Amino acid sequence: MTRRSPQDVARTRAFWLANKPTETAAPAYVIEPPSGWVVAGALALALALQTALAPFLAVRGGTVSFVLLVVAWFGVRTGSVRGLAFGLLAGACEDALAGTTGVAWTFATGVAGALAGRLAGTWLSDTKLILVPGAAVLTIVRFALFTVILQGEGRPLTLPVDHVVALAWQALLDAAVALLLLWLRPQLVTRANRR
Amino acid sequence: MVPIFTYRDERKLFAVIGAVIVAAAVAFVQLDALKAGKPSPLAVTVSSLAVGVQTAAAAVVGGIRHAADAVAAAPQLAAQNRSLRAQNRQLQSENARLREAVAAAPAVQAIAQAAANEPGGIVAEVIGYDPEAVSRTIVLDRGSSEGVKLDDGVIDEDGVVGRVVSVEPLESSVLLLTDGASKVPAVVQRGRWWGIATGTNSRIALQYVSQDAKLRIGDAVVTGKGRSFHAGRPVGRIVRIEHPAGALYQTAILEPAVDFGRLTRVVVLAP
Repeated sequence: MTRRSPQDVARTRAFWLANKPTETAAPAYVIEPPSGWVVAGALALALALQTALAPFLAVRGGTVSFVLLVVAWFGVRTGSVRGLAFGLLAGACEDALAGTTGVAWTFATGVAGALAGRLAGTWLSDTKLILVPGAAVLTIVRFALFTVILQGEGRPLTLPVDHVVALAWQALLDAAVALLLLWLRPQLVTRANRR
Repeated sequence: MVPIFTYRDERKLFAVIGAVIVAAAVAFVQLDALKAGKPSPLAVTVSSLAVGVQTAAAAVVGGIRHAADAVAAAPQLAAQNRSLRAQNRQLQSENARLREAVAAAPAVQAIAQAAANEPGGIVAEVIGYDPEAVSRTIVLDRGSSEGVKLDDGVIDEDGVVGRVVSVEPLESSVLLLTDGASKVPAVVQRGRWWGIATGTNSRIALQYVSQDAKLRIGDAVVTGKGRSFHAGRPVGRIVRIEHPAGALYQTAILEPAVDFGRLTRVVVLAP
């Protein structure tokens, strides 16, 4: 008899705890954190894309925030605490690259990761109807936090009307990219399984 | 009726007689042609047949020989092919590099000229942008280790780009003139009217210009003497003039002198 891997054992145990045989409630979703290398690679790619191509990806001042999408994805797959930690890390990277935003992205993105993590382990984390508008809402919430923190740092944003227009476009673009990725993912997984 | 041929010997005899008759006929035809000085029909027939056979044989033999040569030369041809492919790749790469050098030459020359006009100026390349595009900033590949300092002015061959707002050892961030937080003292060149150039994201607004100033569309605006810039650096040209009713000042909207969408190399000014 072959020995089962620790991950397999943990997964079975999680299933067992989530779905006790005596209970009649709907089965709970089991949290399966993605591989650390995949997450690190996704974040590095998102940061590289945004710093190298941000002005060229912009639509009316709004740019797709790949970093936020990666943080939201990680939060939804792992939970609030890990989402918060990863959001803080990703935001710190953005602040370091921006150079003029202090710690505004750090905390705003951290909170965004924690909020996304609230969906982890529920049926909402598997529903496009929630996740796609959720990406837009998360974009707006994060930017609102960013603005407040920046104000607190004594660096208020200028040209607020322009930023509101850009934010609306960014929310729309983030939702569109989230929809595209959610649509592509099952197809990629199916293709990988066929191999 | 009695058969003519009864025994094998008789059949041989008749065959020999027939052969002699055919040989004699052929001999007569040959002799006749020889006397007439013309090629005999027999020779013509034989040579015609021989040509066809010879051609076919030559084609077959030639094909086999070429095939054998090709097989024998295959390793050499493969090596030659590899060598030519490598040479082709190298030439293509070199061609692309030369094309890029030719395309970039005017910009490189212009920025070199701009740097030459600025003693102590540091030539830097643009390597990044604000990741969320919230502010109009660029990242340069030169930092404090190269002598870049906070608030240093940044120009390119066309005019003012912005000023340094953050310095790391190996890189620095520049706030572009089009950012809303950018404020640079500027003057309308024609009448020496002062104002503050601030960004509007896509253009520049020259604010706080006296209502007495006789601004015109097309007027050139340059930097005034300030902390980051010496006087006279091109900022832009007036494309619109706004006179808000009851305001103490007028505002001029400028088309920037610099094309901010095509920034690749800049010069950081030493104070």
